[in-house]
Amino acid sequence: MNQKILIIDDDDDVREATQICLEITGDWEIITASSGQEGLIKAIAEQPNLILLDVMMPVMDGLETFSELQANFVTRSIPVILLTAKAQPAELKSFTQLQVFDVITKPYDPFNLADRVAQVLS
Amino acid sequence: MNNEQLDFEQPDVPSVNCQTPNSLEMLLHRMTNRIRQSLELSVILAGVTDEVRAFLGTDRVKVYQFEPSSSGEVVAESLEEKKLPSLLGQHFPAEDIPLEIRQLYRTKRERTIVNVASRQIGMSSLPEDDDRDHIQFRTVDPCHAEYLTAMGVQSSLVVPIMDEDHLWGLLVSHHSSPRIVTPRELEVVQLVADQTSIAIAQSNLLESTRLQAQQEASINRVGKFLHSMTQMQLQQALKQTVLALKGSGGRVYLAPSNSESMAQLYISGEQPVLLPGEVKQKLSLTMPMEKHPDWQAWLQKTMQTDHVIQPWAIAKLDANLLPSSLDRAFRPTKIKSILTIQLEYRQKQLGYLSIFRQGIDLETIWAKRPDFNDPRNQVALQSFEIWREIKLNQAFPWTEREIELAQILGSHFAIAIYQYQLYQQVNALNTSLEQRVQERTAELERTNQELVQVISDRLKTRADLERVSHQNELILNSAGEGIYGLDLKGRITFINPAAAQILGYDVKELQNQPMQEIVNHSTAEGIVYPWSKNPIYQTIQTGKVHHVTNEIFTHKDKSSFPVEYVSTPILEKEQIVGAVVIFKDITERQIIDRMKDEFVSVVSHELRTPLTSIRSSISLLSSGRIDPQSPKSQRLIEIAQDNSNRLVRLINDILDLERIKSGKVTMLKSSCNAADVMNDAVEIVQSIADKAGIKIAVEPLSVELWIDRDRIIQTLTNLLSNAIKFSSPQTTVTLDARLQNDDTVRFQVQDCGRGIPPEHLETVFDRFQQVDASDSRDRGGTGLGLAICRSIVQQHGGQIWVESSLGKGSRFCFVLPIRDQ
Repeated sequence: MNQKILIIDDDDDVREATQICLEITGDWEIITASSGQEGLIKAIAEQPNLILLDVMMPVMDGLETFSELQANFVTRSIPVILLTAKAQPAELKSFTQLQVFDVITKPYDPFNLADRVAQVLS
Repeated sequence: MNNEQLDFEQPDVPSVNCQTPNSLEMLLHRMTNRIRQSLELSVILAGVTDEVRAFLGTDRVKVYQFEPSSSGEVVAESLEEKKLPSLLGQHFPAEDIPLEIRQLYRTKRERTIVNVASRQIGMSSLPEDDDRDHIQFRTVDPCHAEYLTAMGVQSSLVVPIMDEDHLWGLLVSHHSSPRIVTPRELEVVQLVADQTSIAIAQSNLLESTRLQAQQEASINRVGKFLHSMTQMQLQQALKQTVLALKGSGGRVYLAPSNSESMAQLYISGEQPVLLPGEVKQKLSLTMPMEKHPDWQAWLQKTMQTDHVIQPWAIAKLDANLLPSSLDRAFRPTKIKSILTIQLEYRQKQLGYLSIFRQGIDLETIWAKRPDFNDPRNQVALQSFEIWREIKLNQAFPWTEREIELAQILGSHFAIAIYQYQLYQQVNALNTSLEQRVQERTAELERTNQELVQVISDRLKTRADLERVSHQNELILNSAGEGIYGLDLKGRITFINPAAAQILGYDVKELQNQPMQEIVNHSTAEGIVYPWSKNPIYQTIQTGKVHHVTNEIFTHKDKSSFPVEYVSTPILEKEQIVGAVVIFKDITERQIIDRMKDEFVSVVSHELRTPLTSIRSSISLLSSGRIDPQSPKSQRLIEIAQDNSNRLVRLINDILDLERIKSGKVTMLKSSCNAADVMNDAVEIVQSIADKAGIKIAVEPLSVELWIDRDRIIQTLTNLLSNAIKFSSPQTTVTLDARLQNDDTVRFQVQDCGRGIPPEHLETVFDRFQQVDASDSRDRGGTGLGLAICRSIVQQHGGQIWVESSLGKGSRFCFVLPIRDQ
């Protein structure tokens, strides 16, 4: 059974490009969500092995989504890699203090992201 | 001479006077009237002699006046010159009338009638009351008879003239031939003598009055010069005094009135000479005679009798009265008499007034030369040849009246000198006082100037201090930062209004309060400092300056706020006496910082997001892992292109917005018709609307506006694009405009979209404040469109806002002034 990766990002192009990259890099099942709410639902339903979570999203941003994931017993153990366009040191510092697996700053190299995903999943 | 009195019968000799009693009465009456017609004694006496001779019919009637020496002088005479020689003015020695006869004249008022031919002398005492005259005859003394005979007189009648009890003189009738004097004649002559006595008394009184008047006149003259207060004319007064006292000279010596003054000497007329050898030492002007020790001693001795100072009147200097040292000063002069008055007033000896008199030459005409060696001098002399006796340089004694006058004048001198000295002293005091006042005034002026300078300096210093203090106070009061001072115990010594306001207190509430307890000073994490760990305490303890940017103070209402502060030690003479703390509430700054951070974060996000897509797409395409011809490859290319375009729009909008906001883009205004602008904008977005199935309804307003045509079209295009993006297909977007108040035009873009939540109505015009960013991006927005619209409208002096209700759509409105502002 292929490992599942959930991509939560409100930007369609980013989501799509990332999905293509991961699909051609590994044997992973890629699930996407365009908002935090949608991501929470899919995380609970699909139980992905890894969640790539965009930070800055409308309505429910990535931090709030992460908090909800952590608060839910069925999702709390899913490793999360934050993908963020907020790259100021203070922001990054605050992100790293979370119980996230990694924080990757946009614009990232898709293959580096894939390598990192592979590491997590392995 | 035998004075035995004998009674004789009246001799039988003819009487010259044959007048009846009535005529005698008339005669007497006339004589009395004549006597009384004048007060001048000489006139009276001349009248007496004339009338008596006319009455008696004798050859000579004379009035003989006794002198103090008992000799006498014929002072009036009526004469039959052919019969007898004149005796007027001639003197007769005292011996011619023996003393006992003079006493009889005086005491008994004895009258004598001598008939030389009969050698008889009739004596008649003055009868008392109404008794008639009784004449007792006896034999005349042969000497007497011889005396009369020598004078050519055969008959004489002598009646004494009294001045009260004093024998003044004799009324004498001489006849060159024998003649009988009747008792009646005697009675008449006696009456005439009595009247003469009265006239003499009156004349004496007159003379006395005259002298008194003269004295008073003299006193007045002298006084006039003495009592001119402002300028005592002592010299003139002295001159008048000398004249009044019939002196030849005089002087006033004024003793020094005090130890600092000098003696003064005023002289008039003849003065004592200064003897050789004494000129410089004793009797010079600097050592006046009056200061001579001999003068002083002798004068004191002789003047003071029974402790009463008497005038010193020397009638005759050659009587060896003066000490020889002084006598030498007078001897070469003609001064014969000295009258010195000690000038004293109120027991103060002021000096001396001295009057000098020369000796005078006396000429006496004697009826005969007295020959005291002739034994016949014991009897009357036979010769009546006139003899002129001349006595040179005779003393002219001071009369009591003169001495009295001198005393009075001396008193005036003393009073005047005393007053003058007082006046001088007052003047001197005044002068001294004025000088002292001037000196004191000058000193006071100097002191005043110094004081003014000191005060000026102090005022300047004070003004400087006040100015500095005021400036400091102004600075403290004007400072936006809170400033307070602490003492070593951390108590507030001063605090500015800003600090009190930031903390929520009045300044007065905070004075002397422990600051740590007031502000509840905490770390950035909110942990309250113990005072010993407080950085401000460290400043007080160590002098180290602390600059802290993120700690927390507590407001009076218990709310806390972030502060930035600097604590600096206050040094006085290199000793720390406290600390001054400058702090500010950085709540707003933190908000702004947060907004900046958020903005940067948003911009970063907005830039990084499309870049992520671009980078990812290019990386995948360039990796060779994807077939370039595959749909995925095509899609990646599209993603890269779309995001590149998005990035360009975004960058353009960011730059455009910043340029408009900063004013670097000038609105190129011109007159444009609003309808044209509206139509142009609609035309631009028409294809998008068509694609989205949206109908655009435009209601152009034809009005001329002064606007930047392209920028207003850009605004309308942005609003129309947004309306189209958020409108459902088959709905209508309306653009219209209307005139407001004739000076503005209101544009409206209305859609029937989902509307904007109320909490976003205010922020929707801010940058990247889309209600839904991803929604916006999906529709090709950058999140800056409305911000750009607002900037353009504001640059035209207009306003822009949105009215919206959820589910019903939104209406974006903006107004522009018609004319340029």
